[in-house]
Amino acid sequence: MKSKEKVAVKKYKSKLTFWQKVWQSRILLLMCLPAVVFFFLFSYMPMPGIYVAFVKYNYRSGIFGSKFVGFQNFKFLFTSGKLLSLTTNTILYNLAFIILGNVLAVFVAILLNEVRSKYFVKVSQTIMFLPYFISQVLVGILVYYLLNYDSGFVNSILGALGMELWQPYSDASVWPAILIIVYLWQQTGYNSVVYFAAIMGIDESMLEAAKVDGANGFQRIRYIILPSLKGTIVILLLFALGGIVKGNFGLFYNIIGTNSLLYSTTDIIETYVYRATMTDFNFSTASAVGLYQSVIGFVIVMVVNFVVKKIEPDYSLF
Amino acid sequence: MRTLSRRDFLKGSAAGLVGAALSSAIGGTFALAEETDYWANWGDIDTSEHVVINYMTTGDKPTGEALDNLNAMLEQLNAILTEKVNAEIEIYYIEWTDYLSNYNLTLASMDGSVDLVGTASDWLDAWPNAKNGAFLELSEDMLSTYAPATYASVPQENWDMCKYDGEIYLMPEDNYAQWTNHGFAYRLDWAREAGLEDGVHSWEDMTTYFQYVTEAYPDIQAWDSDGTNYATMVGGWISSKTNYVSIDGINSGAMWGGTKDDLYTVYSPYATETDLLVEFAEMMKSWDEMGVWVTDVLNNTDASNRDEFRVGLSAAEQHHTQTWTDLCSDTAANTIYEDDEDAEVGFFYFGEESQNVVALSITHGAMAVSAASANPERALMVYDLIRNDEECYRLFNYGIEGVSYEITDDGYKTTPEGYDSETQNINGMTNYWWGRNDDLEIKSAELNWDAIDELYAIYDEIKIEYPYGQFVANVDEISYMIDNISEIHTNYMKQIAYGKFTGTAEEIVAEYQAALASAGIDDVTAELQAQFDELYGA
Amino acid sequence: MAKQDKDLMDSSAKIKLGKSDMIIRGFAYTFVTLYALCCIIPFIIIISTSFTAESVINASGVQFLPKEFTLKAYQMVLKGGTIFQSYGLTILMTATGTFVGLSIISMTGYALQRQDFFFRNVISFYVYFTSLFSAGLAPYYLLMTQTYKLKDNYLAVWLPLLMSPWLIILMKNFVKAIPHEITESGKIDGAGDFRIFLSLILPMLKPALATIGLFLALGYWNEWYQSSLFLSSKVDVKPLQYMLYEVVNKTDALKNSVAGQYVTLTDIPTVSVKMANAVLATGPVVLVYPFVQKYFVKGITVGAVKG
Repeated sequence: MKSKEKVAVKKYKSKLTFWQKVWQSRILLLMCLPAVVFFFLFSYMPMPGIYVAFVKYNYRSGIFGSKFVGFQNFKFLFTSGKLLSLTTNTILYNLAFIILGNVLAVFVAILLNEVRSKYFVKVSQTIMFLPYFISQVLVGILVYYLLNYDSGFVNSILGALGMELWQPYSDASVWPAILIIVYLWQQTGYNSVVYFAAIMGIDESMLEAAKVDGANGFQRIRYIILPSLKGTIVILLLFALGGIVKGNFGLFYNIIGTNSLLYSTTDIIETYVYRATMTDFNFSTASAVGLYQSVIGFVIVMVVNFVVKKIEPDYSLF
Repeated sequence: MRTLSRRDFLKGSAAGLVGAALSSAIGGTFALAEETDYWANWGDIDTSEHVVINYMTTGDKPTGEALDNLNAMLEQLNAILTEKVNAEIEIYYIEWTDYLSNYNLTLASMDGSVDLVGTASDWLDAWPNAKNGAFLELSEDMLSTYAPATYASVPQENWDMCKYDGEIYLMPEDNYAQWTNHGFAYRLDWAREAGLEDGVHSWEDMTTYFQYVTEAYPDIQAWDSDGTNYATMVGGWISSKTNYVSIDGINSGAMWGGTKDDLYTVYSPYATETDLLVEFAEMMKSWDEMGVWVTDVLNNTDASNRDEFRVGLSAAEQHHTQTWTDLCSDTAANTIYEDDEDAEVGFFYFGEESQNVVALSITHGAMAVSAASANPERALMVYDLIRNDEECYRLFNYGIEGVSYEITDDGYKTTPEGYDSETQNINGMTNYWWGRNDDLEIKSAELNWDAIDELYAIYDEIKIEYPYGQFVANVDEISYMIDNISEIHTNYMKQIAYGKFTGTAEEIVAEYQAALASAGIDDVTAELQAQFDELYGA
Repeated sequence: MAKQDKDLMDSSAKIKLGKSDMIIRGFAYTFVTLYALCCIIPFIIIISTSFTAESVINASGVQFLPKEFTLKAYQMVLKGGTIFQSYGLTILMTATGTFVGLSIISMTGYALQRQDFFFRNVISFYVYFTSLFSAGLAPYYLLMTQTYKLKDNYLAVWLPLLMSPWLIILMKNFVKAIPHEITESGKIDGAGDFRIFLSLILPMLKPALATIGLFLALGYWNEWYQSSLFLSSKVDVKPLQYMLYEVVNKTDALKNSVAGQYVTLTDIPTVSVKMANAVLATGPVVLVYPFVQKYFVKGITVGAVKG
């Protein structure tokens, strides 16, 4: 029905000239104008500046007056393996965040569904949601005062127990696990909401029928709840995949800071670009890495969208 | 005749009035005879529009009462500046935290927010910024018109050292003698307890000292470093163990240079001195294991080591000679001398073992004008007055007479009754390290001149003059390699210099040098050599 | 509704609880309780530390409960007063930013959901594209500081947080649920598009406004990133979270936070002052969010799927 309506509207509209259309929808256009201007100023205007990735940047000459150097800014990034390691770190962290994040969120949602006390659900959900509301700055502080060697909470317990103290800030190998845990801690309350809502939406009669048929709790979860969440899970995963080269800058920067000892396992594209821009003033290199990231990200979104379109056209992005 | 005057420059702390000038004109009570002549032609310049000149300096912005005192001084100064050149000065601070980054960033934004820029070719990126177009070219015409006193007082050969590509970019602080070579200030009294009767004179002595302090004074953090001294540490190690003389202004790690015996063959000890770096890494690892610094030193944001040192909560401070001249003196801020009458502070300077000390380049402090300045002419005029006019100079450097300083009968500078170093040390607020002038300096009565003069005499005996003053590298073609090398140096040296690496010292140094090689350190060396050959002859 | 039904049925089914159901339920209670504890313990540690005497922290580290209770850190922070200025700034930014952002987002969201708006797809794509491809930090930074000259200007922080493609899409999804007939009826009554939006649509969008408004407000309250890019020491008063960042990471900011005049750093109970700042900067959010949580839940469920 709706699509018919659309066609009708379209036909009617197409008889008008462009400027007539503009005039006819002038009010709606005006309503969009502030947002259009906003995105123009803050998202489109920087785009020509990408050219800085191809020049030897000189402050006074500006982006477009500086000397063109072609792909020189990219060369070292590729040959040194820097770009490769940044990309690998970024993607591996995101994969872990996406997969473990969704697994834990589904897990929590299912367990919340098994809890029968409404009050308990409400209170626990509220508490689990708490970490989502705090700033990344505070997250960095929390982690530091839990883990630092001299006064951290973990070490004050280990110390009190007479055990050997832990030195995470001197050991790069432990940080992937720590960062993933912190991420899950902060996001699970949020992520589980969607799944919880999806479970709430499951047709009760199915669960009831299963019970009547003698299915036990595990079987209900395995054969009814999980399959009915499949659609949601797949879609959310695919969406998340679209952003797989975009790092969670606030989390990494506030926790790792400029401790270069930990970079080998924790440096992601965003942190590198931020340092190159704000600490080393290497605008050209920063921009080269940023451009690389944007292009890869764009390609991945396109591929993901293509796949989604095949599986579930309704859910495709465009 | 060489005149010596010394002033602290107090990184990270506005506390403590230090400073003095051992100038040929002690007391500086007479003014430049010709001063009126210099500025006679200013009457022709159109200064009808009142302008504000933003002076950019590194330092933390004062707050509260200190700020009030600063403003009181500025009010007087600005009245004079308004009268003379219809301008006033405002201070734009680059905080010490990440100062180099913020400094460059502010210049890079080129938004006209600063006019006068305090700069330095060694510890601030004067040349990279000049090359990047952040500074205005100062034609001799401009200088002689708008900064006539400065123009006349700087000799031509010194102006030549301020040129890049034929243009002058910096006005050097060339009439101010000081030593800013780095080393460790340490407790001489504790070193004696450790069995080092003469004090510390080598890195190995330093190890002995730290070993003793960490055991004998467990409540004290031997050196509460904030994890940022990696480049000076390794640089100090190399100059102590070799005859390396670095070229200023290529990158902040000063990674290229020659040797005292062979000044004009460029090399990078960081790429070639493998064994030496391994030895360094091992020693630093042993310091780390001793607990010289806190375990999480690379994330240590609680450090205020210099303040801790002053009150006896830390046993060493790694900084330069000027800082030590303050720490070794019984000033109000240094309570160690009150608390412990045996307290004495010695200085182990880097290069002592190989007698390798290089005097300062004249561009260790200099003033530049931002290329984005809307009023470069007036900026120059303001600078000329602050640098050469006695009244302005004293206000800007010492504050209001009777409030922030007093002159004793014998011509020394001292602090008046009721002086509070926390709030009245104008010198520690204006941070004017870009044009101090021995002709106008007044020597401070508070410093421990015996100890200072003794060390300065040694320096004068062993020092060589900075040999590369004429050399300003053209890095256009190699800057991307240098940038990458700097990044690698930072990342690895933090680990190496604080002993925070996993695996063996050999492994981490090998990894570091491999990374340097892949970033093209040899190509950079070759390019610099080519430029050297052109300037100094093959 | 489904939930209510379930509760009803549940009570009737109680007798039939099998062994596995008991295990699952027991596990559910245990796990959820433990998980909730993990979520809240770090906060308790921060709060206790802010009340702990520095000597205790130095001697035995951060503790779960304060061994030696003191209010010194709070006294110093409150006396220092910078936190009040930051509060004022952040509240002002949050209030104005949320209002302006919400106005723009709701207008845009409505217009882009109108089937008869000829430019709907073009503009939707124009907005959406910005989330697919961005210029990156360096060009953005150069543009903001050099072309717009927004360095050290609060607008550099305030403006970029006004909206995001995601929030506009979220608004579109909310608007989608409003029957098209409402607009049509307005048209028949002869109302203009803006009038229809203002008097017919907006009242129906209250839940959407609450939800999106809260996302915006949270964004402003927790902002530190734009500040770190654009606000230098020349700006005395920093937004709350960035002030917290500086207090924790920069010793001079720590000094400034505790007193209008100089205090020797060695006299400051460093860790507890940092924690007190953290507690004060975060407090309001923690106190308010349980009451507004349901709007976020709404936002997440409406916005999770499909743009």
